[in-house]
Amino acid sequence: MKNRVLRTLVIGLGLAATAFAPAASAQDRPSTMEIVKRANQASFYAGDDGRTEARMRIVGSSGREQVRQFTMLRRDGDQGRQQYLVVFSRPADVRGTVFLVEKNPGADDNRWLYLPGLDLVRRIAPGDKRTSFVGSHVYYEDVSGRDIQADEHELIETTDEHYVVRSTPKDPDSVEFAYFDTRIDRDTFLPMESEYVNADGKIYRRMKIEEVKEIDGYPTGVRMRMEDVANGGHTLVQFRYNAYDLGIPESVFSERSLRNPPREWLQRPER
Amino acid sequence: MMRFDYYKRHARTRLALLAGLVLLPLASVAQDDAWGDDPWASENVSPWSWYGFVEGAAGVRTDENPLIDEDMPLGELRLQVEGEYQGDGATWDFKLDGIADGVEDDFTGNVREAKVSFTLGERTDVRAGRQILTWGTGDLVFLNDLFPKDWVSFLSGRDREYLKAPSDAIRTSWFGDNVNVDLAVLPFREPDVYIDGTRLSYWNPRAGRRVAAPPKLRTTEPARTVENSEAALRVYGMAGDQEWAVYGYRGFAGQPEAVDTDTGRPTFARLDSLGASLRGPLGDALYNLEFAYHNAPDDPDGDDPRVPNDELRFLTGYEREAFTNFNVGVQYYLEWMQDYDAFRETYPFATDERPEEKRHVVTLRLTWRLMRDNLVLGLMNFHSPNEEDSFIRPTVEYRITDQLYFNTGANLFEGQSPATFYGQFEPDSSVYARLRYNF
Repeated sequence: MKNRVLRTLVIGLGLAATAFAPAASAQDRPSTMEIVKRANQASFYAGDDGRTEARMRIVGSSGREQVRQFTMLRRDGDQGRQQYLVVFSRPADVRGTVFLVEKNPGADDNRWLYLPGLDLVRRIAPGDKRTSFVGSHVYYEDVSGRDIQADEHELIETTDEHYVVRSTPKDPDSVEFAYFDTRIDRDTFLPMESEYVNADGKIYRRMKIEEVKEIDGYPTGVRMRMEDVANGGHTLVQFRYNAYDLGIPESVFSERSLRNPPREWLQRPER
Repeated sequence: MMRFDYYKRHARTRLALLAGLVLLPLASVAQDDAWGDDPWASENVSPWSWYGFVEGAAGVRTDENPLIDEDMPLGELRLQVEGEYQGDGATWDFKLDGIADGVEDDFTGNVREAKVSFTLGERTDVRAGRQILTWGTGDLVFLNDLFPKDWVSFLSGRDREYLKAPSDAIRTSWFGDNVNVDLAVLPFREPDVYIDGTRLSYWNPRAGRRVAAPPKLRTTEPARTVENSEAALRVYGMAGDQEWAVYGYRGFAGQPEAVDTDTGRPTFARLDSLGASLRGPLGDALYNLEFAYHNAPDDPDGDDPRVPNDELRFLTGYEREAFTNFNVGVQYYLEWMQDYDAFRETYPFATDERPEEKRHVVTLRLTWRLMRDNLVLGLMNFHSPNEEDSFIRPTVEYRITDQLYFNTGANLFEGQSPATFYGQFEPDSSVYARLRYNF
């Protein structure tokens, strides 16, 4: 009995010593789930809230180009819940369209769309989140984040710069991929590249962050490319005028903002 | 008759000419390279922004309508110009439509919107001027949304946007922590754009048959007085994921279903309405429930044949994504006359075509989004099992580029009787196509 207590103490001290050791060793590498959580945090939960302007250049497989431009406001709630307000400014026919999302990780999101020409607030039925976001190659889920509990994650490689995590769906029938591999930056924990692999073992879709900037202390992907490897075509997304921790009140994410977008929060930050 | 034919030919020519004038530059328009012109920088430089579109639209009846010579219910070229001015305290915007109309053979201009929007204090938004007003939970079914509709546009094949006609109104919205209030005051009565026989024929119960122009349906308008102003109220909020709303309305019916005692012409009955709705998630789908009680204050007992009866309206709907990018929506809708015994006893026309006490309608909407939403195939079907009539509305929307949009579809009616709501339009079934260039 006495022996066991002593042994526990010794092991405990030993563990503490390794944890405080400055040199990298196997023990201080975060667990796979920790990496995935931190990557999710870095990509979708920087700060308590945020705003960004985005523009997309959508290049179809035939080379035909389309453009989308919008401003997006975000506010984080409890237990991973988030609210998004997306206000479109281009092209002309979608200008004034506003999209409101209440994201519930692990459950259906609440989504509304305001169509200004009809003065209509439409509630959108819950749907497959792996479908085109406003006509681009980017999916809804790429914008608001895929529920990290929906996949099994495995650390398959650690390079000098990246953790490479393989994510395999718990419910394979619910998605179009067999698995996807993500290269996560070891410093910023931003997912720099994701390759989606189908049942035939072929990469058919690739996401790549092409430029990162530090904004308000948060490393932020400001240039992203989503490529349809199987059919050709890609969407290039640029983010600008990002700002975090603005103190956007919850009331901004309501029907009021659908009909009357909140100029106070949509305008560019002064800096 | 000669003169009439001459006009028709003349109109066609003019339309063809105009269509050519639009399509020619369209064909040569280079892709607008919005990426190259750095839209980041251009924003907020000027408080003014300008938009618009040019659209050519043509619709052809699927069968000859013996009552209307013109076989096209739709043939027009439309230019819309939209301007917005963002001032410090207010936003001003307007939308103007200019139409070269080959069916009625004229050029018209419409102010679709001309409004100012501003915020008063922390919790109040005001929108004043000509505007589109919409609320309620129905999908192309309206119970508590008694704002003006343009049925002529909708049934002849114009863009869905034109189903809503503008109102001159002051809309005040107050936002509380849990409860919000919308009040729309329309100083002058705004009726629907009703079917007058020019593009579409309609059932005339007095004549006991379908009729069309000439002569156009002429109505007697209630006086433009303060007492005849209209007001619509909505009190609404969220309870968890559920949206609730209570509605009130005081004004006039949108359709000329009453008869004016002095002129003998159709007119618009007074209408008061009270209703409520719920909308929210149900499993992996959405549901909605709505009812409205339409009260005709000029006919409390329902025994005045010149005034429509009180009516209870009820709607329930369900929508879900059946599979990826394919949505299915179903609705059940009821119109229930409240003083039917009195209505039946005093019904002044032939009893064969007398409306039934209840009108049941089921709707089915299928929407299939393809090619990253650039191609949307839709089908909306309205069917009344007891009136045995249907309205089938297939649509194809194709986004060719950000600027160029192609739409085609059909408005198909059928019915066992010419006196039922959809049945009356059977000879007006048509197919249409529209090409729009946005700028």
